[in-house]
Amino acid sequence: MTLPSRLRALVVDDEDLARHLIREYLQAHADVEVVGECENGLDAVKQIGVLNPDLVFLDIQMPRLTGLEVLEATGRRSGVIFTTAYDEHAIKAFELHAVDYLLKPFSRARFDDALARARTLHAAAAAPGASQAQGVEALVARRGATLERILIRDREQVHVIPVEQVECIEAQGDYLAIEVDGKCHLKPQRISEIEEQLDPTRFLRVHRSFIINLAHLQAIERPGPDRHAARLRSGKRVPISRSGYEKLRELV
Amino acid sequence: MHPILADARKLLFYELAWLAAGVGFAALLRLDEQADWVGALCFTLPLALVWSFDVLSAYYVCRSQPYRQRRWPVTLSLFGGASLLSGLVFLGAGEALNYLGGDIVRGKAFVDMPSAAWVMYFLGGFALYLLSLLGHDVLIAFETVQDAARREAESRVLARDAELQMLRTQINPHFLFNSLNSISALTGFDPAAAREMTVDLAQFFRRTLALAERERITLGEEVTLSEHFLAIEKRRFGKKLAAQLRVSPEAAQCLLPPMTLQPLLENAIKHGIRQVDGGGTIEVDALVRDGWLHIAVVNPVARDDTPASGHGVGLKNIRERLAVLYGQRARIAWQRSETQFAIEINLPVDKEAGT
Repeated sequence: MTLPSRLRALVVDDEDLARHLIREYLQAHADVEVVGECENGLDAVKQIGVLNPDLVFLDIQMPRLTGLEVLEATGRRSGVIFTTAYDEHAIKAFELHAVDYLLKPFSRARFDDALARARTLHAAAAAPGASQAQGVEALVARRGATLERILIRDREQVHVIPVEQVECIEAQGDYLAIEVDGKCHLKPQRISEIEEQLDPTRFLRVHRSFIINLAHLQAIERPGPDRHAARLRSGKRVPISRSGYEKLRELV
Repeated sequence: MHPILADARKLLFYELAWLAAGVGFAALLRLDEQADWVGALCFTLPLALVWSFDVLSAYYVCRSQPYRQRRWPVTLSLFGGASLLSGLVFLGAGEALNYLGGDIVRGKAFVDMPSAAWVMYFLGGFALYLLSLLGHDVLIAFETVQDAARREAESRVLARDAELQMLRTQINPHFLFNSLNSISALTGFDPAAAREMTVDLAQFFRRTLALAERERITLGEEVTLSEHFLAIEKRRFGKKLAAQLRVSPEAAQCLLPPMTLQPLLENAIKHGIRQVDGGGTIEVDALVRDGWLHIAVVNPVARDDTPASGHGVGLKNIRERLAVLYGQRARIAWQRSETQFAIEINLPVDKEAGT
């Protein structure tokens, strides 16, 4: 029989005292070792990649990237305990998807509780599709409100692209080609998924495989009878389907 | 612009009334056998039109002499002069019309105008204009009263808005719960600091509650409140947050609406310091110069930070509040460079009466 392995934990919070508190609560648990601390979202993405901790204590409101954006960028779905002081929206989502979270300030008893649950889940992690992971998946996918930044993982780096800079998005197989300032970023995602997340008053799916940013639309061209194309400010042309044209006419 | 001229419908009815009066006047002339029907109408209708606009000019004469600032000899001579001039215009217009339309076009004067009629026309024009002046005076007084009432109602609504906003600040749940979490952390290893932070938090809320009920507070009071706020935030953000408040003694005595400075600091932390990796210093300068109170807040911002949605709402609120309380006399401007955000508020100096 082997000894139960120690849990390696990463503590992510931009407030020093908040991290201190979690460390203090963890001292009582000899089987948990804090392997790192991060004070912003980008750092957290890096550390999660490098350390691959068993458990992440993750604050929701953080500079650079929010907790949920960290999960999106890292693809991490399990072994996460969320912490938040107050975020009505996030809390509703946690409840909906049965994801555990700690409301600051939290008691030691509440903390131990959450840790115990995480430990059990970790032990059962060998079984795929644990309920926690599914809940987190849903949480990340439907982040509520509208998407303001698009995260693109490029090897070790994470690019953060404000949506207003995006000119258009094209579906290419399993990937999205996101055009920004003449550059093209690839992101593994379905076009219907990102369409749902974007603000419908600013972005429009004009074609089965194209979404355009209306702010970058310069003209609607008519290359042939019953055919339309959008010319963007960058000069790029994007085909418009018949239904896309109807939607565009309503909006513009 | 004159209220009648500004409204097409009113203008139409007004002109119709004048034309009706013109017809009445023509009937009088006919009765008096001074003219035949055609001549009388050709004479009175154009005159009524000219006259209808002439008396409206009384509005501007009255406006040039606001009631509260009138020096009566000046006003009386102005009113008398204007009426005199108007009488001459009436007489001149009548005579010219008679000559041009009657003698030249028709070959016969529209109406007989003996010299006794000259005096009548002149006196009629004079009296009518004087009446118009008095009527306009009453109208303007009425408008002023209405205006004052409306402005008062508006400022009452906005005062309530400000109060609501303050209540929201008082119970900013983010600030409260995070502060409590920090206190909870401090109790484990620095009980004295935990106690201090508890007191700061209590003081901040107590002062906010007390100040929210007042319309104006001194900048000094606002600074004290802000210092409690900063003390709490410094505990939360540690070395990341530093602040320098330079408030001249004269500026500290100036009055301003409560919660003008504190939200600026809150913004500076939330959208500035917190997003910058190494943190930074918020610099506040307040001084009085040439009868104006200048308050400037400068803080570093993250270079690659995209202004998150919601940023700017707080600033817009402050701008609106100041606009209501000060009208055009308050100025608020902000600008963001790559690494810095600067905001400046200028208010006319207003000091506590010597009570």
